Amino acid sequence: MKDFVKVSLGIIIAFLLHTILNKISPSLVLLFNVFSLVVIYFGVEKNEIFGACLGTFCGLIQDSFSLGVFGVAGLAKTITGFTAGYVAKKIDVLPFLRSFIFIFLLISFEFILWALLYSFIFSGSINTGRGSIFFQPLSTALVGSVLFFFLRKFKRSEL
Amino acid sequence: MPLFLKERKSLVVLTALIFFQLILISAQVPLGYGENYFEKAVFSIFSPVQHGILSLSRSIGEFWKNYFYLQNVQSQNRKMKDEMFLLRQENNLLRNALENLRSKKEIEESLLKLHENILVAQVIGFDASNFYKSAVINKGSLDGLKKDMVVLDKNGSLVGRIINPVALKESRVQLITDNESGVGVFSQSKKVMGILSGDDKGNCFLEYIHVTTEDIYEGEDIITSGKDGLFPSGIKVGKIVSITTSTSLFKQVKIEPYFDIRDLDQVAVIMRDPLEIF
Repeated sequence: MKDFVKVSLGIIIAFLLHTILNKISPSLVLLFNVFSLVVIYFGVEKNEIFGACLGTFCGLIQDSFSLGVFGVAGLAKTITGFTAGYVAKKIDVLPFLRSFIFIFLLISFEFILWALLYSFIFSGSINTGRGSIFFQPLSTALVGSVLFFFLRKFKRSEL
Repeated sequence: MPLFLKERKSLVVLTALIFFQLILISAQVPLGYGENYFEKAVFSIFSPVQHGILSLSRSIGEFWKNYFYLQNVQSQNRKMKDEMFLLRQENNLLRNALENLRSKKEIEESLLKLHENILVAQVIGFDASNFYKSAVINKGSLDGLKKDMVVLDKNGSLVGRIINPVALKESRVQLITDNESGVGVFSQSKKVMGILSGDDKGNCFLEYIHVTTEDIYEGEDIITSGKDGLFPSGIKVGKIVSITTSTSLFKQVKIEPYFDIRDLDQVAVIMRDPLEIF
């Protein structure tokens, strides 16, 4: 029950941030992949199955707000969530610098996967938002690693 | 449970999820932008959440504005009064011109119908994968919105049309900058006709303009022709920014749309063709 509340809260916060960023400037959504941060966080915290299921859920929410084929972001996020949980089981990704590199690599991987699927289905190039999308792994990893650091600190203080 | 079995279980779940989404994707590909009930359900569930979040943040923003920017209200009010005065004059002149053509009663009725058929809506979000493709507005089927209704910006320039899914209080607008959109248009001076399509990057192209066509110029306005049976004629769309020729049979005519995505806060939905009313 506690986990369900935590995940729901994570999704609501991601949705809130997504909506606000979208309203401030649509290109900010390209710069920060907030849904993926939720997927990665819970993938690491729980396990790869949880990460994959949450990835599907968050990806499909994102897809429902996009014009085009429903399931493209879902598929990319499912694989990202699974990879996050799987790798976190083998390697300690909690220290700040490792966490930064880990998120950076996962977001880059998801971006490449999504771009490939998108170009394959639509036979066209993606909207790069004047190149801002290429900074997505870096900016998301930066925000994500700081956020995860404080979340872990908060969790430790709770214990 | 042994680790290899656990890992196998994970792989089975992952494969099932991937398989489910691949079926979902492949089921839609032949339909293009056709309606998907699963997508409609997810959109109908989450769009009110987005609507609520935005209303809350807007209320906070409004409070902030009301409190701190009150000193600007007076000058803004004066400016708007001047603008309203000019618009009233223009309206009267147009009414007078119309009265010469038709009876006053007929015109009054038509103007009332015109008012009833314009719905003002707020943009509450943009396409998550490419913001030049679509937007979400805060009016839906309960407000009388249906697929293919035309959407204009605050200056009356063409933005796009309503597409599925239409939720109860939210709906999606396909922007003219989407590469799958198509609008029947012509150039203002020599009425050269073509089909306008988006490039997914904020601009549009005028398609099927033969290389031998001479009567089309840079800087010219592009307006809807009404020949597509979807968009009423005479709506401003954009202006030609470049014309290039290649080895292709058709010219490459690049159009810069008049609507600005960064300024797309409020839109007007035309619920009925104005020409049908008048």
